[in-house]
Amino acid sequence: MGREKLEKLGLHLPLFPVTSVGSFPKLDSVVEARNEFRRGKIGAEKLTEAERRATAFWMQKQEELGIDVLVDGEQYRGDMVAYFAERLPGFTEGGLVRSYGNRYYHKPIVTGEVSWPGPLTVDWWRYAQGLTTKPVKGMLTGPYTMMDWSFNEHYADRKATCMALAGVIRREVEALLEAGCRIVQVDEPALSVRPEELAIAVEAMHRVTDGLNAYFISHACYGAFELIYPGMLELPVDNFDLEMSNSGLDLLELFRRHPFTKDISFGVVDVHTHVLEDAPTVRRRVEQALTILPKERVWVDPDCGLKTRTVDEAIGKLRLCVEAARSFRN
Amino acid sequence: MTLVLAHTGSYPRIGDSPELQLLRRTIAGVDRGDRDAGDLAEAESQMTRRAIDEQLAAGLDVVTDGQIRWNDPVSYLAGKLDGVRVNGLLRLFDTNFYFRQPVLARRPARTRELVVGDFAVASEALKAAGGNGRRLKPVLTGPYTLARLSLAESAEMRALEPRVAAYAEALAAEVGALADAGAAEVQIDEPSILLFPGDWPLFAQAMGQLLRARDEARRRRHTIDLILQVYFHDCAPLYEKLIGLPVDGVGLDFIYNPRLADLVAQAGSPVPLGLGVVDGRNTKLERPEDVARQVARMLPRIARARAWLGPSCGLEYLPRDRARAKLELLGKIRAALAGR
Repeated sequence: MGREKLEKLGLHLPLFPVTSVGSFPKLDSVVEARNEFRRGKIGAEKLTEAERRATAFWMQKQEELGIDVLVDGEQYRGDMVAYFAERLPGFTEGGLVRSYGNRYYHKPIVTGEVSWPGPLTVDWWRYAQGLTTKPVKGMLTGPYTMMDWSFNEHYADRKATCMALAGVIRREVEALLEAGCRIVQVDEPALSVRPEELAIAVEAMHRVTDGLNAYFISHACYGAFELIYPGMLELPVDNFDLEMSNSGLDLLELFRRHPFTKDISFGVVDVHTHVLEDAPTVRRRVEQALTILPKERVWVDPDCGLKTRTVDEAIGKLRLCVEAARSFRN
Repeated sequence: MTLVLAHTGSYPRIGDSPELQLLRRTIAGVDRGDRDAGDLAEAESQMTRRAIDEQLAAGLDVVTDGQIRWNDPVSYLAGKLDGVRVNGLLRLFDTNFYFRQPVLARRPARTRELVVGDFAVASEALKAAGGNGRRLKPVLTGPYTLARLSLAESAEMRALEPRVAAYAEALAAEVGALADAGAAEVQIDEPSILLFPGDWPLFAQAMGQLLRARDEARRRRHTIDLILQVYFHDCAPLYEKLIGLPVDGVGLDFIYNPRLADLVAQAGSPVPLGLGVVDGRNTKLERPEDVARQVARMLPRIARARAWLGPSCGLEYLPRDRARAKLELLGKIRAALAGR
């Protein structure tokens, strides 16, 4: 089903397509430029230049490694929710809150009616796609996660907030498709946080994807999937990109009990450890996936975005993904 | 009538201004290798003092240490037990906060104190801040919640029951040690039971073990109360059972189910209740008079007319300025109640 759709979209991917979840580590040049921009030492133009050079670096790196479906690496984004919230009318930047350990982010606050101000990611997608002949994914944060990871001081309740955001995100998807993008990833890492609200997340994703001609992926991670499976399969996307390795592949047990009916981007390397897995470990993870899932449905990628790793670690982990996929193709 | 203002647990470890970034910068320095454990302990103590100062400034009667040292509510305690290693990240309930999941290689055992040292540091800080007459409340994540959020490697720990029992034994010892250290009340956080009400007998059994530790401490002539705190889900389905426990108070989250106040007003409570009526998860500031109206309906039905006002959960999920504003709101609600 997924393969047919990809073919119809003109996307001829090998078995076990290799992709990545979205973010790559910021190059030192970008970190420095962001700091200087914050201090007012350089303007937006200089910052964008640094981000474009870093994007080109990661595009080239992905080409060299043999990744099949590329991402722009999000050198120009900070947090996956804050990036959009900073640009969408209706949001105000909140103070710092902790995400885990010693990591903090500015959690946005919905303080008014949200609206779409025009394309937010399309120029970056166009730039990245211009650097490769392979498909580049459009990368967006989903409405349920945008809602759940923001404070709300405006809408009556969580559903109203979520549906308003879905309308905004659909406009961005339409803009990406108009620019030529054929694979759009709409991330919903918050999907499992309130199992009783799964129907809201599904309804919102319908609003985002219904009637649009693209291959849709949704990434989710670090959640209690056992509480929303198999209901989560109702999410109207073609491919679920799931963190598998960090949780010891325990989701496979769920898939054994109730068949997984979508394509899967199967996380084969843990992104929250400096340790580089060895190749047999990664291969074994793919092997285990294939005991449950048909090979035509399996994509290979890291568990989550790689932005918390060093550049070398990220490249090492991506290389492991490519090597594992290739060994199974052969 | 006594209407105490009490904090529920955590407080933001950092803030937006440079001096409030101390802990974050120090931890980063330790990671880089240019700061050491002594620097970290000092930064943690300094931020603990700040957290206590801000609670006192907001007029709270019962303060916590803000759980400033806690990496998260699960691995901070479990990771100190023998037989436990700390694994990958997992989302903490429905928050946007992640904890490291404990993995039990064998039966976890308490071989050293868990929060007694923190309690001593915070007690000193409270004294230094002139908090005479205010109480310091240590907080422990409860055995059922720790067991629910742990994985097991060893076969003997694979079932939930032995995990709960092992954690209960460790935490009961910590309750006793806290009593010996002078804690007048200990709060046990058990959010997981709201999600798995079918496990009530197992949960109640574990609470029984902690209550026995309290009773033993009382026999040692300590004055100590044990408070149960639940949050992050609807408390109404378990309300009758929660207030039937022989604890010294039950703290409830009133945010998930707006009708919980009706239930309390109707059914009353034989134990003192913590009224978590200020949303610890959203920045929107409640109107004091609205909350006061809600509280006023419940107070006459609460045992011995004893209740405390607090946030619905720890305040680490809010930016620091809003956390502080939420604490200040508690005083405004109490004033609005007095003016009714």
